[in-house]
Amino acid sequence: MILFVARRLLSAIPVLFVVSLMTFLIMWLVPGDISAEIGGADATPAQIEQIRQQFGLDRPLLERAVQWYGNLLHGNLGYSYLLDRSVVAAVFERLPVTLPLAALGLVLATLMGTLLGILAAVRHNSWLDQSAMVAALIGLSIPDFWFGLVLVILFGVTLGWLPTGGYVSFTDDFFGWVRCMTLPTLTLAFTQMGVIARMTRSSMLDVLDQDYVRTARAKGMRRGTIIFKHALRNALVPIVTVVGLTAGVLLSGAVVIESVFSLPGVGRLIVGSIQRRDFPIIQGGLLVTAIVFVFVNLAVDILYGWLDPRVRDDR
Amino acid sequence: MAGSTRGCAMTADLAAADSAISLRAEMARARRRRALQLLRRLVGHPSFLVGALILALFVAVAVLAPLIAPYDPNKNNYRYVLMPPSAQFWFGTDAYGRDILSRVLYGTRVSLLISALVVICTGILGTLLGTLASYVRPLDGIVMRGLDGLMAFPGVLLAIALAAALGPSATTVVIALTVTFTPRTARVVRSGVIVVQGMQYVEAAQAVGAGHARIILRYILANALSPLIVQLTFVFAVSIIAEAILSFLGVGPPPPAASLGNIIADGRSYIQEAWWIAVFPGAVIAVAVLGLNLMGDGLRDIIDPRQRNER
Amino acid sequence: MSEQKTGMKRREFLVAGTAGIVALTAFGTGSAQAQVAGGEVIVVQGSNPPSLDAMATSSGASRNITMNVYETLYGFDEKVNPMPILAQGVDISADGLTYNFKLRQGVKFHNGDEMKASDVKASMERYRKVGATANLLDPVDSFEVVNDHEIIFHMKAKTPTFLEAFSSPRAPAVVIPEEDAAAEAGKTSLVGTGPYKITDYVPDSHVTLEKFADYTQDTRYDGPDGFGGKKTAYFDKATFRVMPEPGAQVAALEAGEVDIVETMPVPAARRLANSPDIAVQQNLQWAFGTFILNMNAPPTDNPKFREAIQVALNMEEVMGIASEGLFGLNGGWAYPDSPYDVGDIGAVDYYNKADIPRAQALLKEAGYTNAPFSLLTDNSIPFHGKAAVVIAEQLKAAGINVVINQVDWPTALNVRLQDTGWNGWTLTMGIEPYLGPVAITATLTGKRPHFVKNDPELEALYKELISGETPEIRKATFAKIQKRLYEFFGIVKLGDTGQMQGLRANIENFKMFRFPRVYDIWRKS
Repeated sequence: MILFVARRLLSAIPVLFVVSLMTFLIMWLVPGDISAEIGGADATPAQIEQIRQQFGLDRPLLERAVQWYGNLLHGNLGYSYLLDRSVVAAVFERLPVTLPLAALGLVLATLMGTLLGILAAVRHNSWLDQSAMVAALIGLSIPDFWFGLVLVILFGVTLGWLPTGGYVSFTDDFFGWVRCMTLPTLTLAFTQMGVIARMTRSSMLDVLDQDYVRTARAKGMRRGTIIFKHALRNALVPIVTVVGLTAGVLLSGAVVIESVFSLPGVGRLIVGSIQRRDFPIIQGGLLVTAIVFVFVNLAVDILYGWLDPRVRDDR
Repeated sequence: MAGSTRGCAMTADLAAADSAISLRAEMARARRRRALQLLRRLVGHPSFLVGALILALFVAVAVLAPLIAPYDPNKNNYRYVLMPPSAQFWFGTDAYGRDILSRVLYGTRVSLLISALVVICTGILGTLLGTLASYVRPLDGIVMRGLDGLMAFPGVLLAIALAAALGPSATTVVIALTVTFTPRTARVVRSGVIVVQGMQYVEAAQAVGAGHARIILRYILANALSPLIVQLTFVFAVSIIAEAILSFLGVGPPPPAASLGNIIADGRSYIQEAWWIAVFPGAVIAVAVLGLNLMGDGLRDIIDPRQRNER
Repeated sequence: MSEQKTGMKRREFLVAGTAGIVALTAFGTGSAQAQVAGGEVIVVQGSNPPSLDAMATSSGASRNITMNVYETLYGFDEKVNPMPILAQGVDISADGLTYNFKLRQGVKFHNGDEMKASDVKASMERYRKVGATANLLDPVDSFEVVNDHEIIFHMKAKTPTFLEAFSSPRAPAVVIPEEDAAAEAGKTSLVGTGPYKITDYVPDSHVTLEKFADYTQDTRYDGPDGFGGKKTAYFDKATFRVMPEPGAQVAALEAGEVDIVETMPVPAARRLANSPDIAVQQNLQWAFGTFILNMNAPPTDNPKFREAIQVALNMEEVMGIASEGLFGLNGGWAYPDSPYDVGDIGAVDYYNKADIPRAQALLKEAGYTNAPFSLLTDNSIPFHGKAAVVIAEQLKAAGINVVINQVDWPTALNVRLQDTGWNGWTLTMGIEPYLGPVAITATLTGKRPHFVKNDPELEALYKELISGETPEIRKATFAKIQKRLYEFFGIVKLGDTGQMQGLRANIENFKMFRFPRVYDIWRKS
């Protein structure tokens, strides 16, 4: 097992290298830099030039790349002049927004998805099965930001039950935080549960069809026991895979949701940094997201190996 | 696919013992038989049928947009800004006084075109990379790690960064989405190819001296095709949503062109005053994607049951 | 002026459509409202402040916040005349070579220290290094501290417009403690002398200001006036929230989650016109909508072609759509009834003509053969993108092969600095028209005018303008400048755009200004 984890960790290094290289390539292609942001709409060309020199943006790309990788080896992700803090600090400041959002979204999506999936599988070919699958399909087919906007109109504007956007830290006001996070979490969960529901249904159907389940049923075992103890446990392997994939998608989804609900998370930090050309944050932020992604997948792989020992030897 | 592959392999096994010529003839006949069978099963599958009908409707709308649109989609009219839906403007007008219905019709065209291009590019690139990785084993590690790297980028961020680099345009959207969806597609092709590679009929073809190109095209790819087609149907569906997301974030096709996404983006500042701008194209996207998903489900049930409900 | 009359009609229509707005602009200074101290006011704006180091940025998103925190020696009053703020006054020598500033005594920084002449000197020297408009101190040779409350600016040459330029809020030459003088741009301790101090900054989320208990009021005045005056902080806390979605901002205002929306979308303002909870204020002289032409790149290098564009445009449609109905039709380069308003000199035959046949004749004369016209615009400022879309449709109708190149703001700024690769560029000028003729003409002359290539005649007129001794002389020169602008068509004036701000009705005494003043306002109890 340790060997398996170590091997997976090692294989993450080239992945992260590709990510950082890509970032540099994009940065090289992107026109403009932070001088536009600092100067503002009224800046004159002379001002822009002055700001560029001040921040060393006139230095060649290769020089900047060498310096960046050098710093990276020392564990230094760089410093953002626009935000006046280190990249690590800027990203970690935002993680308390994005991680709970993604985690809550994932948990809710998994709960709703597996529940729907189990219901559908147990009542195979009934109206329940069909409506559950239609709900899952609709969840899959609706653009998440659009669904978020509709929720804002409904619950934020028309009914006035929940805030329309913005963020309150949970250390400041726990209930305020819950209220802020409700709509974003719902949006994220609803648009992600479809995949999980469909996967759960099909793997449950596969398992329910197998001999040992039939035997158990024939022996008169209780229905609930069969479903949750035998069938679900075995159906879990493909479900975990899908949940792992969803976790990766959630990072992307969080970017959009954060923009719809004005949440100051990592996604909006990176989007904002691209728009204002805050290169250190873009590079560092993308690397951190990639690391998170790689680790989530690693966790999924480990879980996978634990649920199904054959996988470990396979790789 | 599992069943048919196995059957095919058996036929091939016999034929190889006989001669290369009769192998080819036998396989061609088998393929034709299978195709006919497949078509019958597809038409009989309700979700495929409904999905295909929805898609056909959208394609028809996209092609006929200039004929059925009541107004010029780009015509500004200061006197008719933000008009609610009425007999004159069924879907209302936007902040430029443009007819939303006409823009939705033309937008369907742009959105479908972008998604279709993504499907084509993803299909070609994914097949190339997937085959390369599986067929030329020394390259496998490099290609797959590179693809993993791309997958580790959240797709939306990659697209925004690319759009900043290349300038927002339909081409940028196609490139960004292709880059985002190719890794998974290549994986699907690669695993399909690896399964087939070990099969006896491929070894048989190699034994009778068929060239690499021929083996890849005729025997290997033909068998990795089913999962690829299913995958691409979903890429199509996801592309429509992704185009909308990118336009919403301001990196879609530039104005004045209408795409379903940038109509919603135009409307998001008026979500309370003029809900119709964002709601109609959003609903259209949902229906189109629903159709594609239904179609994909049907296809998978029939031609690739092993992959059921995975994406 | 016929065009202006149409504009007035438009404005009347608008006002009728938003009943309740007018009454509010007549805010009460001497009214019987009872001030209430305490509580928190929340202002929401769309952009994140790129820096809170006031002198290092000319971004409006920063200015909105920092002008509540820092102060300058001189700044503009409500009528855009220089007024002393941290200075007691200035003595200008007869030869115009020394400016002797006397400082107000006992003014405290947020860190408790008293502001002295050495702080001013250090601040000015830092401004030369990191100031976003450092060149405004170019005429100054050296700063001499006379005593704790007196500092002399020694000039290189006589500069009649120096005090105006020095008072500019664009990137304000604020006074900060001497200890911060060596700090790089964006790295100060954020200490100023204003009625509020910065206590928390989370980028993309909020900036929190707290009332500065030891604030030294300027008792020479009765109340706030422009950027100066007697300022009183009633709210204990003022929070500036950043919300990029205009719809979300309005929804938050309606829900009572925020108190002031810095840029209120016009349709939302119309919808809420009769709401008892929300008040809207507007300013019709907020910015100029302009369309800049690249005089260096074909086909716009041909003056006849540029003239064709000028006469083809229907400004009412462009402005109406781009500003969402909040505009004034004005072909002049000063706001109507402002000190430098020279009417429609030069504009009469060219502004808002929507004359397609005349444009087509000019295109023919220019020998135009369907060469692509690249229209540069951005998606960050809604007016820019919308104006570009409408302009493109109108120019297409005249037979010009327009291609819109919509990019993000940093890219747009980058592209327009290229000598070729773009033909037209939509730009709103907010601060220049506010500052007056010198600021406007400065962007059209010098090393890099907006339209790329210099116009020698305009250069000469600019020199005449800045050396004009009196406002009357300068106004006469400005009339010639406006006339000249309608002769070579390097820049097209689209019209004047307005701005709306929304606030909760229980916020009292708020008066719309170039930045949201969070002092001297309070919540009705």
